[in-house]
Amino acid sequence: MAGLLLRGGGRAAAAGLAPGLGRGCCGEAAGLRAMGFSEEQARRLRGLQPRLGPERREAAAAQLLLLGLGAEAALGLLQRSPELLRLPPEQLQERAGELRRLGLQGGRLRRAVSRCPQLFTLPRRRMAAVVRLLRERCLFTAEQLQEVLGTCPAVLLEEPARLHLHFQYAYFRMGVQQKEMVKAQLFRTPFAELRNRHIFLERRGLYQTPHKGQTQTGNPKLKDILELPEGAFLASLARSTPEEYEVFKQLLAREEEEEEEEEEEDRDALYKEEDEDLDGEGSKTAWE
Amino acid sequence: MARGAVLGGGGAGGAGAGAGPAPEGQRRSAGDGGAERAGGGSAAEAGAAAGAGTGAAPAPLQEEATTAPRIPVTRLALHHFDTTYSLQLRDLWPSVRASLLCEQKYGALLNNFSPVDHVTQELELLNATDFISQAHKEAQQLQQGAATKEGGRGENRSQEGSGRGRTVMQAEATTEAETSPPLRASISSNIKCYTFPRGDITRFRPARPDVLGLLDYYLMDAASLLPVLALNVQPDDSVLDLCAAPGGKTLALLQTGVCGHLAANDISISRTKRLYQVLQSYVPKEIREAVSVTSCDGRDWEQLKGSTFHKVLVDVPCTTDRHSVMEEENNIFHKKRTKERQMLPMLQLQLLMAGILATKPGGEVVYSTCSLSPLQNEHVIERAVEIAETQFSISVHVEDLSHFRILFQDTFCFFSDCQLGELVLPNLTANFGPMYFCKLRRM
Repeated sequence: MAGLLLRGGGRAAAAGLAPGLGRGCCGEAAGLRAMGFSEEQARRLRGLQPRLGPERREAAAAQLLLLGLGAEAALGLLQRSPELLRLPPEQLQERAGELRRLGLQGGRLRRAVSRCPQLFTLPRRRMAAVVRLLRERCLFTAEQLQEVLGTCPAVLLEEPARLHLHFQYAYFRMGVQQKEMVKAQLFRTPFAELRNRHIFLERRGLYQTPHKGQTQTGNPKLKDILELPEGAFLASLARSTPEEYEVFKQLLAREEEEEEEEEEEDRDALYKEEDEDLDGEGSKTAWE
Repeated sequence: MARGAVLGGGGAGGAGAGAGPAPEGQRRSAGDGGAERAGGGSAAEAGAAAGAGTGAAPAPLQEEATTAPRIPVTRLALHHFDTTYSLQLRDLWPSVRASLLCEQKYGALLNNFSPVDHVTQELELLNATDFISQAHKEAQQLQQGAATKEGGRGENRSQEGSGRGRTVMQAEATTEAETSPPLRASISSNIKCYTFPRGDITRFRPARPDVLGLLDYYLMDAASLLPVLALNVQPDDSVLDLCAAPGGKTLALLQTGVCGHLAANDISISRTKRLYQVLQSYVPKEIREAVSVTSCDGRDWEQLKGSTFHKVLVDVPCTTDRHSVMEEENNIFHKKRTKERQMLPMLQLQLLMAGILATKPGGEVVYSTCSLSPLQNEHVIERAVEIAETQFSISVHVEDLSHFRILFQDTFCFFSDCQLGELVLPNLTANFGPMYFCKLRRM
């Protein structure tokens, strides 16, 4: 109830709650109660980061309530992520505004914040780099970007280079367009899992990278590949047994690891002056 | 890895209509820069092509100088197999295909000429087992089970033995009892080969020399031992290995310790050199020197030597399916080798005929390939049996190896619809093979 009131006159209330020092615990408690916290909740909140002034706690709590979190949820979030309390409250407000401008609104914003509190602590440069990547290099439309952020806000936390690889894999290697990526919520599934499932299908002959200009493929939809639980994926798409898939994942992981090592070695070799004998074929005579 | 994958994918998008997508399971074999370069260059084109729809090109990862993108030979081979084997293997083909494109599984053939105890200890600590003696144990259990079958206890025993409740083994229990002498004989071959369990992808360490300088084991596709085991060499048999190089099966024959006389032949002098090296690395001098190594065209064998052998192994050149989808080098699917590839079934038939003619009456021939193709497998057997009859008045009987297959089906995946002979199918849990083998008896 008090929360609703707060949303109406949020800033005013918050400002009113942040006077100078020496308010004492009664003053703070009253302020928190006015925001909608129960006595017990207020006590728990006061217990967080006791060295910080009460204004900080109240301001942080207020911002979270403004985003639509309930009192208990806000408290829980602050307990789990005390770094939020250490941020200047203006930053919380600004970041919320930035996220809204990117299209993360209402319930989606609230959920995003609850699940990824690091969205507040993420350096602005990093966030901007990801947004720029998605718009300018991956060519998602503003609307598509909105949808991506709404369904997978954690994408903002990704390292841009890695995110780019993830996108390019789906785009070039799998021949999937942005529209389908958005529908399939591409970034919600870890990149490694996408590769496991895709390469499994590919090696079984059930997925082919489309040729230039090819519109019709017999390929399964990205949405199905990503969203089916493993059992259903194996039964209906891959038509394979769990045992085979288990072994495949291990073999693929080893392959990728060794390819990484090889690439590193090649890079090192490029910078070496002497001519080394890179032929490790000696042991191979024992192999048929 | 992802980088390579992306470039490869780019190649697919950007290349002209004739060019196919980047090869799946592409390995970095020696000198393989071409395919990746082509992939890299085409990523730029793919970007442009893709951009046409959205109004701009998503920036590709790297701009590289484009050489005309060539379709890798491995891709041609894979496409060929997709066409033929999907018809033959039907819904088994996807599993086989994925297995061919993943790292194969090896077995460690123990060198009986080198002290083996510490090696067996080492391997068993790693959870590897000798699949041959394992099969022997299970066969014994089955026979004991069959003997006491009246109380119906045999069924339980066979289930214990395999640990997987095989109904096939139950059904075959009675046949086992009937055919037990040849079964037992084929296993007491002294050949020991360690493999890791199903689903275990551990690799063996490289072979090591002992105090005498002989290597402790030989790493090979364990399925390659099946033709040798099927040959069932008996004490003092004279044995011919008609296409012996590079020498894995020859070495296995020597491991039986019972060859009266072993002749190892290969048409290629360079490959015969390899065979010499293998013998030198594994076999003591006196035994090595008793092996007659020759470099003749196997097809001429009968003219040169006559029918003098009890046992003949004809492990013919074939399309080496696994190699053909994984390695660019030395690949029979190269355009310039098309004629050679198309002539293979004829060559294989001629070699088998020579093998049959080199066998004494009552002797046995095992024919083997590492291909899935019926044209190189059953079809060659059928033609050979026919020609032996019509042209040479030699009666040749195809031996039934189904009990043999049942014996080893815990280790290997066999194709149940093989009309003549047996075929080991690669499977991710047991990534051996392909290996086709068929046993013929000259009457």
